[in-house]
Amino acid sequence: MSASNTPARIEIDGKIFNPYSRDFIRSPWATWDRLVKEFPVAWHKDLSMWVVSSHDALMDMLKDNRFSTNYKHWEFAPPPKPVEQQNHFERAIDAGLFAVDPLQHLRLRKLTMPAFSKPVMGKIDAKIRDLITQCFDEIGTPDQFDAFSMIAEKLPVRSIARMVGVPTNMESFFHDFAVNVVKSTRINLPLKEREKAMQDTLPGFQYFLDLIKERRALPHPGEDFVGQLVAASDNGDSLNDYQIVSVIQAVIVAGSDTATDLHTYAIQGLLSNPDQYQLLRQKPELMENAIIELLRYGAFGKTPQFRFVSEDLEWRGQQFKKGQSVLINLTAAWMDDSKWENPRKLDIQRRLDGNLVFGAGAHFCIGTYLVRVQGGLMIQELMKRFPNAELVNGNGDVEYDYNHHNARRINRLLVKTNVEAARKAA
Amino acid sequence: MEKWICVICGYIYDPAVGMPDAGIAAGTRFEDLPEDWMCPECGSPKSAFEVYVG
Repeated sequence: MSASNTPARIEIDGKIFNPYSRDFIRSPWATWDRLVKEFPVAWHKDLSMWVVSSHDALMDMLKDNRFSTNYKHWEFAPPPKPVEQQNHFERAIDAGLFAVDPLQHLRLRKLTMPAFSKPVMGKIDAKIRDLITQCFDEIGTPDQFDAFSMIAEKLPVRSIARMVGVPTNMESFFHDFAVNVVKSTRINLPLKEREKAMQDTLPGFQYFLDLIKERRALPHPGEDFVGQLVAASDNGDSLNDYQIVSVIQAVIVAGSDTATDLHTYAIQGLLSNPDQYQLLRQKPELMENAIIELLRYGAFGKTPQFRFVSEDLEWRGQQFKKGQSVLINLTAAWMDDSKWENPRKLDIQRRLDGNLVFGAGAHFCIGTYLVRVQGGLMIQELMKRFPNAELVNGNGDVEYDYNHHNARRINRLLVKTNVEAARKAA
Repeated sequence: MEKWICVICGYIYDPAVGMPDAGIAAGTRFEDLPEDWMCPECGSPKSAFEVYVG
């Protein structure tokens, strides 16, 4: 094919899509709708990366191994180092699920799956229920409270600390560890910021490597999550220390930083749709579906995930070059009206077949059942304690952290409990 | 009949239940699912499944 026959590159810029703008963070829907309909696959001139936004394009891309999760395939990735010069972060990343080749990835998922399966996650319920009760006890029965500072900022990190078997008084340590791990690989952040974040992860990695060492020295490594990973085996195959620590860090990241947004947006979604809140109270069996729908509806990611082009290729009429990065704009796809009827409506009974809420294909979110258990317990307790809750002034006087590294982070959401009014009425 | 688990997402296919909503009748063995059948949870192929011992 001659150069003249090559279709022109479809391009967008910051005027069409600026994920960091305040307007977008507050109200992204019109932008997503335009991206999905007019620019489902486009090169972003200002971000210097591809942006893929429609449901069907993302469904294909997520199952296509040529779009790699391995940050090392990025044209601006730091040069590889010999293992002996690598620090714990670099070794864990290289051993982790996002860096290994597809066959090795399947092997790792096979070994780790028992620790994440639905039956095992179901048992987490008993382990973290008291944390949820305690969190709501701390709230008490005020006229109103801030769901971000009283629930979302506390509960996920406490739950995840309990799950991986570390003291809950190390909350801030884990939260900082999670944030720094995320920042270390966010290609949208400046190099200096990524490097500082990486250095700041090292005490956390050391903590877990020591914990694994302790468990290996025991006659039995234990029945908890870390113990299961240490004991994981399949036909004589097992996980090494860096593979285990890479799984632990992935769980901490997803279970604390990302789950913070899940909690806030789930509360916002339910209380701004009182009919759905009451429906869930009446039909708690809808909880699992409700959580997936709340994640879809809340769509809190602003730069959800990235992939890296592993070879020169033509895809959907566009020429992708090896080393380029791709923004997997999943949250836009969750609002794609060619897939979802009336996408901006919260419908906890919606048929969610084929959804991309937890991704798709080989890198489907490993913590999917953990999220459902953790979120479900929180919502159950919210409904029990505050059955008539609503958002203060209709929108919870919502505020955003406009500088958050990857989410449309809500950092204030005021909930009116209506407990006193109900007491008086009774 | 054996249950099968998707090693990617943890979805468990139970032949005793099948997937009636997707036209797969209760009693359909995993081996008898179409070769292009995909995990309803994550979209992984049949090859990502293994016998579930739980």
